[in-house]
Amino acid sequence: MTQLLKQQDGVWQITDSQPTDWSPAESFSTGSALKLAVDVEPETAWASASLIAVDFPALTDGRGLSLAALLRQRIGYAGDLRAVGAVHEDLLHFLLRCGFSSFELPAERDPAIALQLLAPYSNFYQGSVMDPLPALLR
Amino acid sequence: MYQYNDFDRQFVNERVAHYRDQTQRYLNGALSEDEFLQLRLRNGLYIQRLAPMLRVAIPYGTLSSKQLRALASIANTYDRGYGHLSTRQNMQFNWPEIADVPDILEQLATVNMHAIQTSGSCIRNVTTDHFAGAAADESIDPRPYCELIRQWSTLHPEFEWLPRKFKIAVSGGKVDRAAIDVHDIGLRVYEVAQQPVFDVIVGGGLGRTPVIGTTIREGLPAHHLLTYLHAILRVYNRYGRRDNKYKARIKILLRALGAEAFTQRVDEEWQQVIKESEPLADAAITKMQGFFQIPTLPAIDDPDFSLDEQRLTHPEFSRWIERNVSAHQCEGYANIILSTKAPGIPPGDVSAEQMQAVADWADQFGCSEVRISHEQNFALPHIRQQDLFQLWQLASDHDLATANAGLITDVICCPGGDFCSLANAKSIPIAEAIQRRLDDADFLHDLGDLDLNISGCMNACGHHHVGHIGILGVDKKGQEFYQISLGGHAGHSGESASLGQIIGPSVSRDQVPTVIDNIINIHLSLRHQDESFLACFRRVGIQPFKVSLRSDAHDTAA
Repeated sequence: MTQLLKQQDGVWQITDSQPTDWSPAESFSTGSALKLAVDVEPETAWASASLIAVDFPALTDGRGLSLAALLRQRIGYAGDLRAVGAVHEDLLHFLLRCGFSSFELPAERDPAIALQLLAPYSNFYQGSVMDPLPALLR
Repeated sequence: MYQYNDFDRQFVNERVAHYRDQTQRYLNGALSEDEFLQLRLRNGLYIQRLAPMLRVAIPYGTLSSKQLRALASIANTYDRGYGHLSTRQNMQFNWPEIADVPDILEQLATVNMHAIQTSGSCIRNVTTDHFAGAAADESIDPRPYCELIRQWSTLHPEFEWLPRKFKIAVSGGKVDRAAIDVHDIGLRVYEVAQQPVFDVIVGGGLGRTPVIGTTIREGLPAHHLLTYLHAILRVYNRYGRRDNKYKARIKILLRALGAEAFTQRVDEEWQQVIKESEPLADAAITKMQGFFQIPTLPAIDDPDFSLDEQRLTHPEFSRWIERNVSAHQCEGYANIILSTKAPGIPPGDVSAEQMQAVADWADQFGCSEVRISHEQNFALPHIRQQDLFQLWQLASDHDLATANAGLITDVICCPGGDFCSLANAKSIPIAEAIQRRLDDADFLHDLGDLDLNISGCMNACGHHHVGHIGILGVDKKGQEFYQISLGGHAGHSGESASLGQIIGPSVSRDQVPTVIDNIINIHLSLRHQDESFLACFRRVGIQPFKVSLRSDAHDTAA
């Protein structure tokens, strides 16, 4: 069983993942929940999705990070953006800054460690989806 | 030099804490071997043939005397009293314990240093001309842009998990001392109408598939440097191959798409990125340039000083001036190379005592600044000409005054099979055998500029493809053999970059010095007056050199 890491009332919490009725990219309709492979080309219509998940094939595969940035900045998707698949606790801070807002942790990951690793850094050099200003201009 | 502020210090300390936590989780079993591999690599820790190797970042090859003393202390405490200067201007320690690495990083952090992104599939340490901000032939100081790129690329949220490693080099000189044609991205900065602009070269590189990079944009305004890099990296991160590590570098993507289609894809992405993000503010560029003003140079107290008499009475000093000393931006000063390539010492290896001595000289003579060149030497900018003789004498006492910068004995060499688990063959003994054979200083100086680069395997850490003479270690049925190529060039001394051509079948280790001898003799028999090896090779081609592999080559050439 997978565990869902998401914010509730501004507090990060771990809950059991509820089954979601995912729709594949090619049969998307307004309001449905999308599960995307990391190599898809983002489409404007997806801004109206109720939930978007990006499925990471491996810890080392950074394509989903660029895809998330595009969904937020180019498509303008403002809803819950979830990382699923090979989600690793040491990458959470990268994922967050690319615009992910929830994480489905694989069963073997320790949720207590994940909760501690949401923000190992209090600030970063470069701007991001979350904070456009680089350190140099802050 | 760039000066850390509270944020920089906090950031580096938090990186140490995060890495300490990663190490502890690995040691208590919460992280698997494969997971920790990816995490430790992105913080500079390799597991090598004999022991771990920690690569410490020296951003664009510049460090302070204080930082160099800290490296000397680490070499004494955690290594065996020495360190290794790498071809990416970093310093490597070969014997740390995995459990000690967080403590080493903590010690580095006290002098504003780290090992962030010195390995792994991410953006590596940006490199530049080792005499940036000091060389007489410089158009624009590249260091403010190097630091902007360093900051932008450090734990970049989108680009820490690329298909493969990614190397950026910047040159601001009329002469390219940063080998920008053989990097994933090479940047040439120069002025147009008093405004800094960049030419952007993409997809160069060495390794298994050596390629000279393609210029995909000329005259890019400085305030768009980072948006354009973002576009290139995003295209690479999304479309670069991830199924085969030997085909994962950006050069393969550029070749697969074709330069035109690749450039178009980058430009389309860039047009979008520009709309979505702020350009680099002039205030940011100006602020960064403020860190890299020329330091207050020691006053010249003898305006009539001339090196002539010292050179006349000390021919060895004169040779050192000729080879290792180059022109400074300010009259009466010079930039010097402290060669690590003394006979019998592996190229780039420096002892803790040498590091301390270099730090002392930097304080005494050179505004406390030290540089590391990609040729694996120490360099000191900002030296008064009137101090050169004293500095030469001091350097001679520490085996750092070999007058061979740019000569064949100034070998670029990877650690090779003695240390590296990737190597097919040893490289250091080859360098040593050639250096021992070529010990006649007059002969070497007459021979002139000749880059000899040695790699122990296809990964090409010794840059053999761009050596005027390149030597590559290969494995033939379990035996170490060496493939020799000629005519490569990294792009310095005003000549265009080129890749070496293989002269013929590989030879055994014993034969290498003889073949090198033969190559030199053939060159001497063909050259016009003082023609350099590269110029001669470019004129006559590879054909006359093929005979160097034959056992009777010497007779034929004579």
